[in-house]
Amino acid sequence: MSVFTLPQVDKEAVLLPQLADLTKHHRANCEPYDRILAASGFAEAADLSALPWLPVRLFKTLELKSIPDDEVFKVLTSSGTTGDVSRIYLDKAAAAEQQRRLAATVQTVLGPKRLPMLLVDTKAMLKDRRSFSARGAGVLGMSTFGRDHVWALDLDGRVDLAAIRGFLDQHGDQPFLIFGFTFLVWLHLYEVARDHGLDLSNGILIHSGGWKKLVDQAVSPAEFRSRLAGVGLTAVHNYYGMVEQIGTIFLEGPDGGALYCPDFADVIIRDPETWAELPPGKPGLIEVISTLPTSYPGHVLLTEDLGVVHGIDDGAWPGKRFSVLGRLPRAEARGCSDTYREAS
Amino acid sequence: MIFRFGVAGDLTAPSEDRLTVGDPRIVDFLAKLARKLLTPALARRHPELGSLGYFLRPAELRRAVARMQRDDALVFPRGTVFHLPPANVDTIFVYSWALSALAGNHNVVRISTRAAGAAEAIFDALNAVDADPVIARTQRMVTYGRDDAITAALSRWADLRVIWGGDAAVDAIRRHPLRPSARDLTFPDRTSWAVLSVPGWRAADPAARRAAVTGFANDAYWFDQAACSSPRTVFLIGDGDLDAVRREFLDLLLDVVDQRGWTVDAAMAVEKRVHAYGLAATGAATAVSFPDNRITALTLTGSDQVPRRWIGAGAFPFAHAGSLLDLVPAMTRQDQTVSHFGFTPAELGEFATALGGRGVDRIVPFGSALTFGAIWDGYDLPAEFTRLTTLQT
Repeated sequence: MSVFTLPQVDKEAVLLPQLADLTKHHRANCEPYDRILAASGFAEAADLSALPWLPVRLFKTLELKSIPDDEVFKVLTSSGTTGDVSRIYLDKAAAAEQQRRLAATVQTVLGPKRLPMLLVDTKAMLKDRRSFSARGAGVLGMSTFGRDHVWALDLDGRVDLAAIRGFLDQHGDQPFLIFGFTFLVWLHLYEVARDHGLDLSNGILIHSGGWKKLVDQAVSPAEFRSRLAGVGLTAVHNYYGMVEQIGTIFLEGPDGGALYCPDFADVIIRDPETWAELPPGKPGLIEVISTLPTSYPGHVLLTEDLGVVHGIDDGAWPGKRFSVLGRLPRAEARGCSDTYREAS
Repeated sequence: MIFRFGVAGDLTAPSEDRLTVGDPRIVDFLAKLARKLLTPALARRHPELGSLGYFLRPAELRRAVARMQRDDALVFPRGTVFHLPPANVDTIFVYSWALSALAGNHNVVRISTRAAGAAEAIFDALNAVDADPVIARTQRMVTYGRDDAITAALSRWADLRVIWGGDAAVDAIRRHPLRPSARDLTFPDRTSWAVLSVPGWRAADPAARRAAVTGFANDAYWFDQAACSSPRTVFLIGDGDLDAVRREFLDLLLDVVDQRGWTVDAAMAVEKRVHAYGLAATGAATAVSFPDNRITALTLTGSDQVPRRWIGAGAFPFAHAGSLLDLVPAMTRQDQTVSHFGFTPAELGEFATALGGRGVDRIVPFGSALTFGAIWDGYDLPAEFTRLTTLQT
């Protein structure tokens, strides 16, 4: 069962009433959200691009939730660049739904059965509470889609060649799942497989994380894909997602080179000057839209990532085809007052 | 350590060089520096260097020296001064250093690693001046990283330590003890405001309104509204059609911003949204509007709701008060500059008197908020940089 089925027109027709209802729901249940919309004069939206978006960073500075305190089942946090932390509040239903939708999304490329899973990370990372929030949650969340887990790195973060070899000996002749952060996959799996002649041709790789470190090493997404193909790894799916819209991931299609939106989500690229929606081919800020956030007003979020839509209904899957181009460079104001915190 | 200006070597070593208050060698040096900064090409590229050059003209220097003289005491340099200017205001380090040099002090200025742009132009100019060698031996500007040992040594060396850059910087630097006889001159976090008289605006002709907004725009946009004296909240004072006044003010402001070709980058535009929505979410603001990416206007629920944090470049919360006197209870020691338009001298005098020194150090017309003065943050700087000897015969 795929969750990448709706052509753009159909998707918008399905999503708009749901998102309008969600907007009403959050206004009724989250007072700060209602105040923001009232102050900006929002009444209703005629199309997806007119839905009121919140800057994603607002979840670092405000407590935004649409459920009473005693229904909070889980609080997700993400470490941010400024040291502030996003807080995302889930009730039981929202937590179950995000897990169910995440499963449906990855099963599009994994199939319905749990596969043997190679984690390109170290188990020690789960113990570190600081990195746990971001990286650990990703690994833990994805690990439920696999079985017979093997960590590719030892407790000191070094490549555990024996463990990888053992995993491949046991499972390498059947489809298996590989998961890890993009940079770790490059450094600790691709290079190891190349140097030691490992056969990864039955692997299905799902990877995420910033490209910055790779771009610094002059590795483009296309280069990443073609070099992995050199060690037999051709089923490669990058994804884009964030804790503020947990359960929603934008997944790279089988043809590679672009991300697609699941049926319950969409993206809009905005011009950071005029804030108008940009047509395909024009890069701008990425707005992510999803029907999953029911317990907090995170259904329409403006990220601080730059992206571009390449095309609509013209790829392997229907809907928008897009890429993430990187982070919006942070502005530095010049001033002598409280914006500057240099200690010595 | 990088020496940006002055002779390299041990900064805290005893020196044989002696300067006097208003030392002619320093006056000569600063006057030559002013000429370099005032060259049209440089002033065009960095308008703030124009104001700095103006501040360093011989006539201004003579006035500053005159302020240091007294009839009732002999006036001498304070001694050794360690300056820690703000990280990223490109010119402020020159103002405080120049006054201190003019008072005859031996100075060490710690220049942030982040200094760029206009600061680089200033170092070029400083190093290009044909100067008496005593200048380079007594006036040093250095860049070093977060090195506590150096900061500690310079703190022990100094008779006066000048700390800019906000509360956190002051607290961090103060961990390093001074000599018992030494003292700190601190410039902590500040907030500044604009006040606009509604009847005064009505009474002004279109040219005066436009001139006022041009001045306000310079005050607000020159340092991305982040200098300590940049106006943040705009108080509309008095009765009348507030909406019409605000609308006209914002229209004119957009016009000026357009003419200057100022832009706000994408990250700053997002920053403004985050803060503006934050004020709406907490109930401090009832309306948020974005007439243009470069202007974010907010309506505050009351003058007690004014934010004291920086919101972003071109973010203007508006609040209303019946009279200037109604603002007095809301003003605190953190508040520095109030820039004004449309008030009578009597109204401003009454306001200043009612404040009673409990808040607000400067009350200046629109367009003068960023103009540095020898009296700053409530200090008489020429007096701070000197020491007095009394002689009775």
